[in-house]
Amino acid sequence: MTHLSPAQAVDVAAGSAAPALIAHAASCEPCRAKVESLLEAVRLAAEDPPPAPSPLFWPHLAARIGEAVRREQAPAPSRRPWLWRLVPAGSLAALVLAAGVGFRLWSGTPGTLPGILDAPAPAPVEVPAEESLAAGDASADPSWLLVSDLSSQVSIDDAEESGALPLPGGVEQALVQLDEIERMELARLLRAEMAALAPAAPQGPGA
Amino acid sequence: MSTRADAWPAGGTKLEWTLRVVASNRDESGRESPLAGLDDRQLVEACLGGRIEAFDLLVERHQRAVYQLCFRYVHRHEDAADLAQEVFLRAYRGLRRFRGDSALGTWLYRIGVNVCLNHVSARRAPETSLDEAPQIPAAGDDPASSLARAERGARVRAAVARLPRKQRATLVLRVYQDLSHAEIASVLGTTVGAVKANVFHALGNLKKLLAEEATGKS
Repeated sequence: MTHLSPAQAVDVAAGSAAPALIAHAASCEPCRAKVESLLEAVRLAAEDPPPAPSPLFWPHLAARIGEAVRREQAPAPSRRPWLWRLVPAGSLAALVLAAGVGFRLWSGTPGTLPGILDAPAPAPVEVPAEESLAAGDASADPSWLLVSDLSSQVSIDDAEESGALPLPGGVEQALVQLDEIERMELARLLRAEMAALAPAAPQGPGA
Repeated sequence: MSTRADAWPAGGTKLEWTLRVVASNRDESGRESPLAGLDDRQLVEACLGGRIEAFDLLVERHQRAVYQLCFRYVHRHEDAADLAQEVFLRAYRGLRRFRGDSALGTWLYRIGVNVCLNHVSARRAPETSLDEAPQIPAAGDDPASSLARAERGARVRAAVARLPRKQRATLVLRVYQDLSHAEIASVLGTTVGAVKANVFHALGNLKKLLAEEATGKS
């Protein structure tokens, strides 16, 4: 019989080998030495004892893991990603932009209204003829249609989860409660403000 | 020469896989939770069905084995606890991928070996040193013999840490975690024959490294 292979030697050392292999290892000096060497190495390895933490450690570890798992499942509202905090501001900015762009498209003329910051506070606001109430229904305003279309793609639950729902008494809440006349006026004012905030044409050498 | 079945492994490192019912397995009235009677696969199904407390039971059943595996790689209590937590978190995240064609313990070992290997690879530093403080001797121990035992343990630890990755994993699972060759093959995704060959070479290399260390020290 040939000498034991490594796998057979491991089986003999583990006591799980076939009787013929065990008999061979008992009678063959090189194979016996091979198996004894394995057993000695196992004894040496066992000199590094298993860790023996305090009995109190196990409930502590289990609780710690349980907490970590629950954080995975339901993140606390205070831990929501910072990006979500920008959603309300982003939605308001989108509303402003859509109102301005939509109104400009609808009116068909470039904005020429003076900046709202430049206007004297008590002065009455001039309303161009095409922006007057007689010019059309505010509900047909493309800017409001755009906002309405976009908002229809977001569920209430998603909006609430993201913190995008208007807060009672907040700016967003006031916006959604405007009537048609107020919406028209707001659109006009926003357009004027955007024009005032637009960067001036570059000047000077190389401009 | 001993060839009895109980000759392997020496040192009695058999892990306890039995369920230990602890306080959290009981409801508010002190009665044992009905989940405690479920086996691992049923607990996995319950967890996937939304009963997160089922995962708590799985943790209680397997945390010792997972922790001890991690400890064999880092040899520091806090690090081992951190790694054990990471193992269970990964298991929780991937629970839907547990197909049940192997025992949950085997699956956890597979995750554990990967987590530990990634950890020690990232550290790139030896995890153990002979200069590490030895474990505190048990009360009643002779201080001299306790110290000698601790030093021998540290030498073994350092030698095991120097084994090639697969040999180290195989040796840890076989000698310290007392897994069968078939279980190790399942954990490491290899064949039983390859496991036996790795056990053979790991033990041979361990002896060689310990002999070199003893020669260098003398």
